[in-house]
Amino acid sequence: MQKTTVVVIGGGATGVGILRDLCMRGVDAILLEQQDLAYGTSSRYHGLLHSGGRYAVKDAEAGKECIEENTILRKIGRHCVEQTEGFFARTHLDDEAFEGKWVEACAKVGIPTIPISVEEALRLEPNLSPKIKSVYRVPDAAIDGFRMVWQNVASARKYGGRVLTYTTVIGIEQSNNQVVGIKVRNTLTGEVSDIACDFIVSAAGSWAGEIAALAGINVNVQPDRGTLIAFNHRITSRIVNRLRPASDGDIFVPHGSITILGTTSASVNKPDDTVPNAKEVVELLNIGEALFEDIRSYRMLRAFAGTRPLYSADPNATGRGASRGFVTLDHAHDGLKGFVSVVGGKFTTYRLMAEKVTDLVCGYLNVKTPCRTAVENLVEDTSPALMAKARLYFPAYGAELAASRLGSEGLEKVIARIQEKPEKRQLLCECENVTMAEVEEAAADSTSYMISDVRRKTRMGMGTCQGAFCTFRSVGAVDANGLSWGKDTNVLFKEFLQGRWKGIRPILWGNVMREMELTRGIYEGTLNINGAIDNEGI
Amino acid sequence: MKKHHNNPDSCTACTVCIANCPVTAATRKFRGPKMVGPTLERMRLSQDDIEPSLEYCSNCKNCDMSCPSGVPISTLNMLARAKYFKNRKRSLRDWILSHGEKMAKLSAATPGMANFGMKMSRGILKKIGISDKAPLPAYASKSFIKLFKNLKQTSYPDKVVFYPGCFINYNDPQVGMDFVAVMQANKLEVIVEEGFVCCGSPLVVNGFLDEAEENAKQNVQILKKWTDKGYPVITCCTSCGLMLKQEYQELFHIEGVAEYAKQLYDADEFLLDLHDQGRLNTNFGTLNEKYMYHAPCHLRAQGMGLPGVELLALIPGLDVQDADAGCCGISGNYGFKDDKYDISMEIGSGLFKAIKDSGRDTVVSECGTCRLQIGHGANVKTLHPLTLVRKSYEAYHK
Ligand SMILES: Cc1cc2nc3c(=O)[nH]c(=O)nc-3n(C[C@H](O)[C@H](O)[C@H](O)COP(=O)(O)OP(=O)(O)OC[C@H]3O[C@@H](n4cnc5c(N)ncnc54)[C@H](O)[C@@H]3O)c2cc1C
Ligand code: SF4
Ligand code: SF4
Repeated sequence: MQKTTVVVIGGGATGVGILRDLCMRGVDAILLEQQDLAYGTSSRYHGLLHSGGRYAVKDAEAGKECIEENTILRKIGRHCVEQTEGFFARTHLDDEAFEGKWVEACAKVGIPTIPISVEEALRLEPNLSPKIKSVYRVPDAAIDGFRMVWQNVASARKYGGRVLTYTTVIGIEQSNNQVVGIKVRNTLTGEVSDIACDFIVSAAGSWAGEIAALAGINVNVQPDRGTLIAFNHRITSRIVNRLRPASDGDIFVPHGSITILGTTSASVNKPDDTVPNAKEVVELLNIGEALFEDIRSYRMLRAFAGTRPLYSADPNATGRGASRGFVTLDHAHDGLKGFVSVVGGKFTTYRLMAEKVTDLVCGYLNVKTPCRTAVENLVEDTSPALMAKARLYFPAYGAELAASRLGSEGLEKVIARIQEKPEKRQLLCECENVTMAEVEEAAADSTSYMISDVRRKTRMGMGTCQGAFCTFRSVGAVDANGLSWGKDTNVLFKEFLQGRWKGIRPILWGNVMREMELTRGIYEGTLNINGAIDNEGI
Repeated sequence: MKKHHNNPDSCTACTVCIANCPVTAATRKFRGPKMVGPTLERMRLSQDDIEPSLEYCSNCKNCDMSCPSGVPISTLNMLARAKYFKNRKRSLRDWILSHGEKMAKLSAATPGMANFGMKMSRGILKKIGISDKAPLPAYASKSFIKLFKNLKQTSYPDKVVFYPGCFINYNDPQVGMDFVAVMQANKLEVIVEEGFVCCGSPLVVNGFLDEAEENAKQNVQILKKWTDKGYPVITCCTSCGLMLKQEYQELFHIEGVAEYAKQLYDADEFLLDLHDQGRLNTNFGTLNEKYMYHAPCHLRAQGMGLPGVELLALIPGLDVQDADAGCCGISGNYGFKDDKYDISMEIGSGLFKAIKDSGRDTVVSECGTCRLQIGHGANVKTLHPLTLVRKSYEAYHK
């Protein structure tokens, strides 16, 4: 039986942040994730590293937390943060009176806002609607959820942290009102096992209620679904927020080669109710038109949705802690020692949440080492020499991207693969510029079990063609490399194509429809994938 | 008004353009239209880097023609090239090749000298990167403008405006004179405006986009002036025509191009239109001659069929066979470059073979640089279709 001091549940930003913090303070810890890392809300989100401007008027405390964490993450996480800056733009539809209130509120919590002329804004962002009325610059940034999660894990591993993916928690073992272990099931093999531990931290986001229920404890989390649209290219190089009281469809965030618009808000029953629908997409386009009037001429790549873990406190409960943005629930108050849940919050404040929870856990464990997650960089900078070397091996526009995804160590490994076989330099994913060598490296990682796991690590399949070409290439690569999980290629095809289809379905018109027909031609016509899958049953 | 922007969004990655790009077929050094055009455009919007193979695109536009999704691939390439050169020094070679008009003006005082100098200095040109094998054009002793000024036209109420372009003006003025004669035979008076400048095509391909835009602004102003008055504007050079009509719209944000473009014609196209309206002078004399015909890429890119072939079919006795063998490889000044010469000849090899196999010793084509390349690669004589039209009119009166 595996043993550890602390088990962290949830491979999202909060969970990996806690794992890293614990390990940096010398506490032995294992993180469990039911699917792949960043499977939950931490990749199904907008990717805005909030300046706090969005919250300043309604929730000054959240605004203050955001600007403080924003400043920290720009520094420690600079390889997953794109320092784009942001605009707050008031359109002709928005209340002028709010503008003054907003400027004042931002000043109060220390969020710098710099007014610029509409003319200047249009020069900087020519696709913006010329009908906008006023514009402010704020220190917003874009943050890549996948990379942030991965880099936290990479850092935690250096300090001895362990991560088990495709491992779901099915029971919490207790003895004399004290946690003694956790029961898990491998979701790929079905195998059930136990891990002995002294402490459990649930950072399961929208699933936090389900985890607490395993211990018979009530944690009131209401999943709230938000839908987002990814556009095929960078229609803006800055984040653009609508300057009005926070509402649906307010924000455009550029991420690498794409732009994301969102979001909607709707209560749902299940945390993984993440299938977006066409109605939400049309709503978003209607709203988005006020900021970008040509929005309908930009091609969408896909729609996707995540669920916010909205927490509502039980008014009778005691000992409920911390800020309004998130809560740390010490279940000792519910009669079970060694069990803490952390719920709510935002991606932007994940580090702060992790620090608060780790402080609490360390208090119990009598560990006095202070938190250093705000001062130590997630990953080391890639040396100029290594970057120069990478440029020799990666195709144009590929080296920087690969370096920021892989970190120095990974980059060295991928370069070595190309040195050994120069043909591995060819692009397997042409849309997102991912080499065969990098795909093979990601596929060989111990946390990869299906093509989507490779996708999350590399961005393969997330560009224009949405898997039309890279699916057969990557399945071929996995097969040719003889990876243990690559034996049944039909399953690989199906898993990846269905995953892509989920996001394409709600936007199936125009260019997307044409692309999909080409994809169908390749897989259903030329390769007869469905026939192959049916035949398997015979 | 909807902003005109060349976004990479309609590309479905179908790869049709790759199959149709003559440069991709000729060399592995080029990563192909899809990759260098729409695919990397998404990257260019998000990062600063250099795609070294971008320089291999010849702007021949076979990709644009073949794309089932209407992606302006070559224009994306040209804009990327301009962005690349924004803060980089350009070679003397590229400057010289792009500034034919300036070079011509410089040497206009002593044209005989210029050509003599040109021959003598091929060694020097080779040193700066211009192939010593390429068929560089010679300057004519008198420019078209000069010849035209000395020409007595019969005045007619119906007038057309002629845009000669650099090649006809400085290198091959006879084509311009043939054009005027053909118009006169159709009771049309030709107006030539001296304010016209180089269309910008040779500037665009070497990344001098700002200069090209200056030229565009000047030309657009003049073109609008005449088309607003209802005069048609006619070119005999297919690259000029494509530039004035279509590429100005894709490359620059200049108002009014779409409107005047409707009154801009290729000469052959214009004559065929006259024929459709029953207004063409069909007093064609018999020419018992055999020719091959080559359709320039920039003619095909205009989507008007092959008006030259149709027009020549009206001439009794004339046997013109369409070579239908793709790009000749020259692409403006592409094939003049030392490092592109071999690629250019490889691209043209199919066409050269088709011509040689036909046994015909003269090739008809609208484009001046195509004619140079064909003469060089297939060792044949070359003509503009209008030269034959004029010849036929003259034969009628003999
Ligand atoms: C549409 C949308 C847009 C957003 N935009 C922004 C934004 O722009 N900026 C920002 O700062 N915040 C944003 N947020 C909020 C932010 O995304 C979330 O607050 C944050 O990602 C939550 O991270 P987490 O780690 O707490 O939860 P999650 O990322 O959901 O992680 C929880 C993990 O627990 C795992 N898990 C669940 N049950 C089990 C089990 N039984 N065993 C093992 N593992 C289990 C899940 O698989 C999941 O991976 C947005 C949220 C939404 C919904
Ligand atoms: S313009 Fe010609 S050379 Fe350039 S990519 Fe297109 S087809 Fe190829
Ligand atoms: S032909 Fe057009 S749609 Fe097809 S790959 Fe080329 S640019 Fe894309």
